[in-house]
Amino acid sequence: MNRKRVVALARRVVRQIAHDRRTVALVIVAPMLMLALGAILFRAEAAVIPLGVVNQDIGMKLPGIGNLAAGQRIIDELAASGAFDLIPLRLEEIDERLRDGSAQGVVTFPADFTVQLLSSPGHRAFLDLRLEGSNPGRSQLIAARITEGAVKAMVGLNRVGATASQPTDGQSESQAVGLPVTVNTTYLYAGSSFDLMDYIAPVYIAFLSFFFVFLLTCVAFLRERSQGTMERLLATPVTRLEIILGYLGGLGIVALIQVAVILLFTIWVIKIHYLGSLALLFLVVALLALVGVGLGILASTFARNEFQVIQFIPIIIIPQALLSGMVWPLEELPGYLRPLAYLMPLSYANRALRDIMLRGLNLTAIWPNLLILATFAIVFVALGALTVRREVA
Amino acid sequence: MEPVIRTQALQKHFGPIRAVDGLDVTVQAGEIYGLLGPNGSGKTTLIRLLIGLLRATSGWVTVLGQPMPNKPILARVGYMTQASALYDDLSAQENLGFFGAMCSAGQPIGRERVAQVLELVGLTDRANSLVRTLSGGMKQRLSLACTLVHRPQVLLLDEPTVGVDPQLRVAFWAHFRSLAAEGVTIVVSSHVMDEAERCDQLGFMRQGRLLAEGSAAALRSGAGAATLEEAFLHYASREE
Repeated sequence: MNRKRVVALARRVVRQIAHDRRTVALVIVAPMLMLALGAILFRAEAAVIPLGVVNQDIGMKLPGIGNLAAGQRIIDELAASGAFDLIPLRLEEIDERLRDGSAQGVVTFPADFTVQLLSSPGHRAFLDLRLEGSNPGRSQLIAARITEGAVKAMVGLNRVGATASQPTDGQSESQAVGLPVTVNTTYLYAGSSFDLMDYIAPVYIAFLSFFFVFLLTCVAFLRERSQGTMERLLATPVTRLEIILGYLGGLGIVALIQVAVILLFTIWVIKIHYLGSLALLFLVVALLALVGVGLGILASTFARNEFQVIQFIPIIIIPQALLSGMVWPLEELPGYLRPLAYLMPLSYANRALRDIMLRGLNLTAIWPNLLILATFAIVFVALGALTVRREVA
Repeated sequence: MEPVIRTQALQKHFGPIRAVDGLDVTVQAGEIYGLLGPNGSGKTTLIRLLIGLLRATSGWVTVLGQPMPNKPILARVGYMTQASALYDDLSAQENLGFFGAMCSAGQPIGRERVAQVLELVGLTDRANSLVRTLSGGMKQRLSLACTLVHRPQVLLLDEPTVGVDPQLRVAFWAHFRSLAAEGVTIVVSSHVMDEAERCDQLGFMRQGRLLAEGSAAALRSGAGAATLEEAFLHYASREE
């Protein structure tokens, strides 16, 4: 082994990378950006959950204490926990508030809540929890927090209630402890059969098809430039618009086949639950694929080779994955990241797909998202067409 | 008769570099016009200006009577670059069909025409081979076929025989000659002097300017030189 040759090789490798300023920047800056973004997202304060409260509990008069309202005590406990932003509601506005998102869940205390708790044979009371339901993780969290609040409230209540109620029915304190409050959970959308995969699947489908169409387009267009055929094409009567539309058509067909396969696989093999129309689902993902083609053509201008295409992954793809509401709901991103999220086409596709698959909404509800996606597609394709012009310079 | 190609006071600057610096060139129908000069003398820039891939800084270009750039006129022009510029993952036949479709203005290019140009460049037996399996010489031949497939009236060839073996080069020039005999106008750049002998008209280029113009014989005798190489050096030194 010749040490000098090894050193010369190593030196050459370092020099080559050093000459490519973009790679240097990427290797140094990209990991820092990714880490910073991750830290922001993972450390973001757990958002306060808007929770509607319908309190019909009339309480119960107890000798020597006055009116005792167990419902109100639980509400106070929930407020003290800091996890919820409590909104007093009327019974008839529950679903409306869940639908427009101004409440993620609503607890209802029936009129006889305290009475049931203190004087029913088993000392058991029921409260109703109605959840939006499309995010199973969130649903579990809300239900758990409410149960926790109820249990804490009971501990305090038993101390009061024990002294007051003992003379009347002679129940010992230990019997009343346990879980005297049962939460009946119902869902506006989706429901208990939906699991985390059902929640993730819509955005997973969108992300995968967007990602692969983007890479495919980028490489195809890059090759057109690097193998010299773009020059040859531009020396024929074909116009820029025709080239772009041809690409859109060809890659569009490939993308549609891919989307169809992904969708059918997810539904038949992975067996995810979904509501809503399959055709509408297909329309959204197809539109997103066109955005991917447009962005790919545009991005390929800024790559000299396939390696530089790979560099787009941390710059263009990963931020979209993190900020488009795939995992962290848009509404809960820190305020300064939210404008970024609104710049990402994937955000709109994700929202539309969740609306369809988890909430069963139709075109009349999701069209604004489709319109924005179409706008993205048109803007990217137009910008891509301008970059083809650059060649003619 | 109106010349097929004409440039007047043509200039193209890239920043401070004057790649083409005041060229007046006319090429008549059925003529083979050779652009001769060292690398960097502006031959490629001139050809790209002629086909309209570049826009002149000043002066103007007409091809077939139309000022360039002009997209529709390109249906009657064939352009060949130094690199073979083909789709590696398409077959020879598919490449021809594609470029034919891009260039055809009226009726589409038929299968017979594709077969005909394949025959012309001797690739009939490789019609269905993917381009990436072809040798360098075969690619160069296919590239020429792609340039010819739509029966252009004007050919702009940028060093078409670079890296081509002598036998193939002779074959290429035979094609060019027979096309010219049919009335096709050809502009061809080269830095190989013996190719220049085969042109009807020659332009010696250096630093974006024309040193001298005329037939090979006229240029030689004008310089009192035995070879074109000596003639080129003579005109180049006179310029300085």
